[in-house]
Amino acid sequence: MKLVVLIKQIPNTSNVRIDPKTGNLVREGVTSIMNPEDRHALEAALSIKDHFNAVVDVISMGPPQAIEVICEGLAMGADKGILLTDRAFAGADTWATSTALGNAIRKNGPFDLILAGRQAIDGDTAQIGPQIAEFLGIPQITCVSALELSDGKVVANRIIENGCERIETPLPALVTCLASLNEPRYPTVGRILDSVLESTPIEIWNAADIGVKAQEVGLAGSLTQVLKTFTPKGGRETQYLEGTPSDIASGIVQFFVDRQVRLGE
Amino acid sequence: MTRIPRPTAEEMIRKTFARFTDDEIIPKAREMDEAGKFPRWMFEKIAKTGAYAMRYPRKIGGAGGNTTQFCIMVEELARGSMSVAAFTAMQCLMGTNFLYQYGTKDHHERLLKPALRGEKVASFALTEADAATDLGGAKTMAVRDGDHWLINGSKTWITNAPVADFFTVLCQTDKTQGLKGLNFFLIERETPGLYVSKKFEKLGTRATEIAELAFSDVRIPLENRLGQDGQGVGNLMRILAVIRTMTAALSIGLARAAFECSKRYSLERTQFKKRIGSFQLIQQKIANMATEIWGANLMTYKAAEMIDRGERALKEASMAKYFASETACRASDEATRIYGAYSYSMEYDVQRFYRDCRFLLFGGGTSEILQTIISREEGVY
Ligand SMILES: Cc1cc2nc3c(=O)[nH]c(=O)nc-3n(C[C@H](O)[C@H](O)[C@H](O)COP(=O)(O)OP(=O)(O)OC[C@H]3O[C@@H](n4cnc5c(N)ncnc54)[C@H](O)[C@@H]3O)c2cc1C
Ligand SMILES: Cc1cc2nc3c(=O)[nH]c(=O)nc-3n(C[C@H](O)[C@H](O)[C@H](O)COP(=O)(O)OP(=O)(O)OC[C@H]3O[C@@H](n4cnc5c(N)ncnc54)[C@H](O)[C@@H]3O)c2cc1C
Repeated sequence: MKLVVLIKQIPNTSNVRIDPKTGNLVREGVTSIMNPEDRHALEAALSIKDHFNAVVDVISMGPPQAIEVICEGLAMGADKGILLTDRAFAGADTWATSTALGNAIRKNGPFDLILAGRQAIDGDTAQIGPQIAEFLGIPQITCVSALELSDGKVVANRIIENGCERIETPLPALVTCLASLNEPRYPTVGRILDSVLESTPIEIWNAADIGVKAQEVGLAGSLTQVLKTFTPKGGRETQYLEGTPSDIASGIVQFFVDRQVRLGE
Repeated sequence: MTRIPRPTAEEMIRKTFARFTDDEIIPKAREMDEAGKFPRWMFEKIAKTGAYAMRYPRKIGGAGGNTTQFCIMVEELARGSMSVAAFTAMQCLMGTNFLYQYGTKDHHERLLKPALRGEKVASFALTEADAATDLGGAKTMAVRDGDHWLINGSKTWITNAPVADFFTVLCQTDKTQGLKGLNFFLIERETPGLYVSKKFEKLGTRATEIAELAFSDVRIPLENRLGQDGQGVGNLMRILAVIRTMTAALSIGLARAAFECSKRYSLERTQFKKRIGSFQLIQQKIANMATEIWGANLMTYKAAEMIDRGERALKEASMAKYFASETACRASDEATRIYGAYSYSMEYDVQRFYRDCRFLLFGGGTSEILQTIISREEGVY
């Protein structure tokens, strides 16, 4: 069985600030980490590997230093890493990102299951998983909180508002994973020491390697363009309701009615 | 295909164990300290990272790591809990070293490999009531009796004793030989005649358990002498530099924890309508802590690097341990001053750093004896 896990390197947003003047992320002193949900996706793949005869490949697109999350993936137990890195990939929107990742997955050969995080905590779109499934023309289950594999199909619990769907689909397929799916293992010391050796397989691919033209990926291949990023002026207004308790209560209800807020059924 | 430099093993070890410490240890550190019990669940959680196998070669189930990497790992753990770092260091180094170096194949299969996987707990017993800094005063006797050794005596201050599965014990085989008569022996917990006292009530590192051992006609096979006859102290000397450098790394971890708390509190707490960090006397404490931690760091990792190059490094390791452990004690002392009354409250972590740092002054040689050694290494004695 062949499993492919998509992992993204992101700035550790628990300590990220936005420069109020430029509107850019202040990257200085910010460490990079593996997107948290991707660790859960990788854990899901590794626990499948623990029970079945499976090979796990991790793929990341990013600048050269994203090799660190590939090493971390190998240190957790993946068999092979692929880093997509090329100036041509820079500035990609989600369309261009999934075009590059989709082509790389195709080039990497047949697979049974692709696992991604639901959402990257920096870009936050939750689009990459679904777009890649569309690109490859395979079924997808998003927001997965439980996962089982059995002869040629995957059964998963998909968390939705107010509940959970249980979905079955034939392989090959793509799932996007939630943190509630599992508790990721830590890299082991022995595997960490192996992951940094040149003898541990990490393939480095550029645009030409995955058979795409520079204008199909990166900024040039993006369908959307960011015009401006800024921190919204966070002016919150506090309104005090006064009067008797029943005046205050009807004031609150009127407040909801005015704003068409539907209270629970 | 383009080549891209990979991160170093040291960076990866640092990052992994920093995250482990932040996510797994720090949220539980106070609870473990208050419970005052060996947290087996934590011992097992650490085992899953392969930490205990760090220093040993692949052929016996080790990871093949070096002293620098080992020090980075225990430094990060110590930042979260000195108790946890102390039992990890015991399992990685003192508790297993002699079994690895001088044990039989059967010892390796039955005890060492399970210990590296965290399935058995290791312990190391040198200290006796009247033989502490002066190991030559050891009175625990191992006497050859046919095809066995017969052990009689006692040990005290033994880390992990209440929970350990096997002990590496320093015994005297020939009183007339003094230090040359000292040898290490492997004694398994279930051996008849081995008694473990109840655990000590102690000031710090409360989540490691410490007790006394008593040996009354304990009979062990001849092959349980670990090392050639008379080589006990010599063999101990071979890892003494590693023990001291490791203890220096533990000290840096604790000093950093005290320092981080101090910085945060200096920026939060206000008096006279100002952050206390705006007062120069508080700034002086912050500056001195930062400077000493930097110094301890340079000394410790330089000593580790020398050990990894195969150098003796006993003087440098002694200096690193002396400076770093005193740094940890000063940093936690200053942290309590910055916290004022709140350092006196069990609700803040600084009181734990203040209690735990005292342990660093004794294990691996007291500051007094280290100064004696450094001076002797410099030719003045
Ligand atoms: C310089 C720059 C310019 C950008 N410009 C634009 C722009 O103009 N328009 C726009 O829409 N966006 C832009 N982006 C955002 C970028 O498109 C997204 O970061 C990227 O497409 C991934 O989307 P996401 O972070 O929302 O991931 P999500 O869709 O939230 O991620 C879901 C999962 O997909 C996988 N995944 C996502 N990204 C990767 C990756 N790189 N490698 C491997 N797996 C991955 C992971 O498993 C992840 O958990 C820009 C980003 C940068 C850095
Ligand atoms: C938390 C903890 C865990 C421990 N774990 C273990 C363990 O697992 N195994 C083990 O074997 N031991 C263990 N020990 C014991 C430890 O190794 C001893 O504490 C250490 O050897 C020092 O001995 P002592 O405390 O009895 O001091 P002593 O040797 O009695 O010294 C008392 C004082 O005299 C000074 N002094 C002694 N000799 C000289 C000298 N020649 N010149 C100048 N000053 C001198 C010392 O510096 C000290 O200030 C542990 C101790 C602690 C606190």
